[in-house]
Amino acid sequence: MTNEGQSLQGCGFVTPALLWTIAFFVVPFLVMGAMSLATLEGRTLIWGVSLSNYAEIAEKAYIWRAFLVSLEITLTVTVVSVLLAYPLAWIIAFRVPAEWQRLALLLAVLPFWTSYVVRSYAWLLVLAREGMINQAMLGIGLISEPITLANTRFATVTGFVHFFVMLLTLTIYANLIQLSPNYRRAAMDLGASAFQTFRYVILPLTLPGVVTGAFLTFVLCIGDYVTPQILGGNSELTVPQVIMVQLGRRADFPLASALAIALMAIVTLAYIFSARWLRLDRL
Amino acid sequence: MRVLPWLYLVIAFGFIYLPVGTLVLFSFQDGTLPVPPFNGPSMRWYAEVAADDDLVSALANSLLIATASSAVAVVLGFCAAYGLARHVLPGSVFLRGLLIAPLTVSYLIIGLGLLIVLTRAGLGLSLLTVAIGHVVINLPLAFAIIYASMGAQQQNAERAARDLGAGEAQVVWLVTVPMVLPAIAAAFFLSVTFSWDEFIIAFLLTRFDVTLPVEIWSLLRSGLSPRLNAVGSLVFLVSVTAVVLLELFVFRKRRV
Amino acid sequence: MTAPVSIRSLNHWFGGFHALKNIELDIRSGEYITLLGPSGCGKTTLLSVLGGFITPTQGTVSIGGRDMTRVAPAKRPTTTMFQDYALFPHMNLRDNVSFGLRMAGVDTRTRHARAGAMLELVGLADAALKRPHELSGGQRQRVALARALAVEPDVLLLDEPLGALDLKLRRAMQDELKSIQRQLGTTFVHVTHDQEEAMAIADQIVVMNAGSIEDQGPPARVYRDPATLFSADFMGEMNHIPAAASPDGVVTPFGALPQRVDGPKAVACIRPDAIKLGDGPVQIGGAKIKEAAFFGTYIRAHLVPDVAPDLILVAHLPPGDLPEPGARMTLSAEPQAFHVYAAGD
Repeated sequence: MTNEGQSLQGCGFVTPALLWTIAFFVVPFLVMGAMSLATLEGRTLIWGVSLSNYAEIAEKAYIWRAFLVSLEITLTVTVVSVLLAYPLAWIIAFRVPAEWQRLALLLAVLPFWTSYVVRSYAWLLVLAREGMINQAMLGIGLISEPITLANTRFATVTGFVHFFVMLLTLTIYANLIQLSPNYRRAAMDLGASAFQTFRYVILPLTLPGVVTGAFLTFVLCIGDYVTPQILGGNSELTVPQVIMVQLGRRADFPLASALAIALMAIVTLAYIFSARWLRLDRL
Repeated sequence: MRVLPWLYLVIAFGFIYLPVGTLVLFSFQDGTLPVPPFNGPSMRWYAEVAADDDLVSALANSLLIATASSAVAVVLGFCAAYGLARHVLPGSVFLRGLLIAPLTVSYLIIGLGLLIVLTRAGLGLSLLTVAIGHVVINLPLAFAIIYASMGAQQQNAERAARDLGAGEAQVVWLVTVPMVLPAIAAAFFLSVTFSWDEFIIAFLLTRFDVTLPVEIWSLLRSGLSPRLNAVGSLVFLVSVTAVVLLELFVFRKRRV
Repeated sequence: MTAPVSIRSLNHWFGGFHALKNIELDIRSGEYITLLGPSGCGKTTLLSVLGGFITPTQGTVSIGGRDMTRVAPAKRPTTTMFQDYALFPHMNLRDNVSFGLRMAGVDTRTRHARAGAMLELVGLADAALKRPHELSGGQRQRVALARALAVEPDVLLLDEPLGALDLKLRRAMQDELKSIQRQLGTTFVHVTHDQEEAMAIADQIVVMNAGSIEDQGPPARVYRDPATLFSADFMGEMNHIPAAASPDGVVTPFGALPQRVDGPKAVACIRPDAIKLGDGPVQIGGAKIKEAAFFGTYIRAHLVPDVAPDLILVAHLPPGDLPEPGARMTLSAEPQAFHVYAAGD
């Protein structure tokens, strides 16, 4: 159904979006790549092809440690969030009566709509020495004096997990609901217990969706600046925090660019690793 | 054993609502620290927020950028979706991939790239630069959502319209747009939500006029205060109301 | 393995909707019965009750003499073949078919062997390692059958299994189902809305309407001597002739009939193939052809009888030259070919 004229017209429709993406996404990316190969002498930027920034990443302890910290935190958050969200999505999809499911799901993700910055701040309140958790534990006599929960890696992970459990509940629920109910019926009919039905039928069928959600979690988590900055304290930094330090104090754009490219490389590796199960269209 | 799922549900919901609940509760704190013990309720912090000009103008800026960038993203996304769905173009798969690519890149990186390029290009940092950044992050989403809704049903209706003599522009305006309106609305709504709440790009690409999340951030620098609770609770309340209204009037209607 | 099924006083409500009304049904061991009826008549609900997916509000279900009313599907000696087959897409055919055996703890070698045997029974032995999406609809249906039979159920429940197939394939599968059932001796309960399918396969047909059983019996009897007007109409085309009750039976425009009914008004029904050309005991008399069409083994003709010009009778005439509209015929029938029911039945 297409002829020359129509093809041209099609091109016309796509062009604006394409131009925008190229101008404001692809070009900045390329420039950033070039910038990562530049060097800074005092205040002056010198374009060139130098790997000194990348060398700095590998050499400076506070930088490559940040990569380790980011990876540790991100992997922990991804695993914990999936493990907590899957049962929640399952319960809403298969235990909550059909008429109430939409409401239950909406309630489960409502806190999504607090501002991201505000939500991290709220966790700071909850985890502070004078905050809810410490006060509650003191009150019931679990501890004799407040413990430091805020400004720790625990706080960062908690803040992240809180956000991603909501996100993953949504995506995993969407996946579960799409399965024909007859799969479960057939499995049970053939003698499978609830656990066996899950292990041999439901889990394999929802795995692509779970991996997609996990990948999304990984990408969003590793690149996030706000949560570690508010909740993590200054004892250890993540890569986004290190990037912002380069921008703020030192205005070291070349190093910041190199760090950004390195972060992208990690995400690309994660994509390649999970590509076997990944279905972005199943999101 | 049967109780286990419900127990989990209760605990999960408890965890999910803990920060929000604390936030809202202590926004009514009659005191200077938003931590236990709870004295109050008092509305003084809400009054302070309403009187804070910086916050109010930041709010207006956020709304402006959200609606403007979402509108642009949706228009561009719709055109691209229409172009790719209706015509077989060379390299379709590649084009689709390119348009969706920004979804997988961290906002920090997108913001950094734009910061470098836009300052070098001589464009001063302002709300405009933020809006540009927000279109970049929302365009892939709008495109994906609208593209997914352009199926055979719409195609057949368009063919019928052309058959009856409509020109291309008329087909798009009178047939395609009304038919994919739910997807357009969803894309717009989602874009507004993301833009409204977005921090890092707004932080990097703005100088004097700021958006709400950036303003909240600078307030954070001055320490814990129930004033932040009040702002957060207001933002939450407004967003939730919008979602509930949308659910009741837009999505309900579609289901019926 | 096989077992008889006994359903007593079965009632089921979905909220306020009375879906199954006082169902009493006995199915003999090794019988092939079909639940036949239009959409919404409750046949699928009844099947779900038999399978254990629905616990009935009232009544009992016994299988093999044991009360199974509240027993879960996994513990019942039944398996169900679902309308959409529900083959596990991530497993190959062999693993699909042996799934039930795996759940029962059968070791790998035995269950693979058994799965192979079942796939051979349905003619797919060499496709054991393929995935469901590589098969056609008809092939998938056979795999679903193999999977359901692999666990040697006493009762196999089939939910409109042939609905998605084209006519030729359907006919072939009907023969196969019948042959497999004879071979295994398992009790089969088959839900369908196609009366021809029911007649082709079943030992017993159960005709259902609006939650109740209208008629029940061997295909020949249900077709030739239907118990209710609904059953008569559902089993095949019927001519409806208005009649009035009389002391000796009923009176139709073509004469009196010995059958009696309750109430003043009645409907006398006769099948198109029971109307004969020429004179006979019940003289329909002269009739004019309105239209006729050639159907291979007969000519389907619409005729207007002289004595009742506002009636249109459908008759199957012997295949010959197609009569012109307006041509005249003489028609008659045997009195026992008529089935008379009270009007408003």
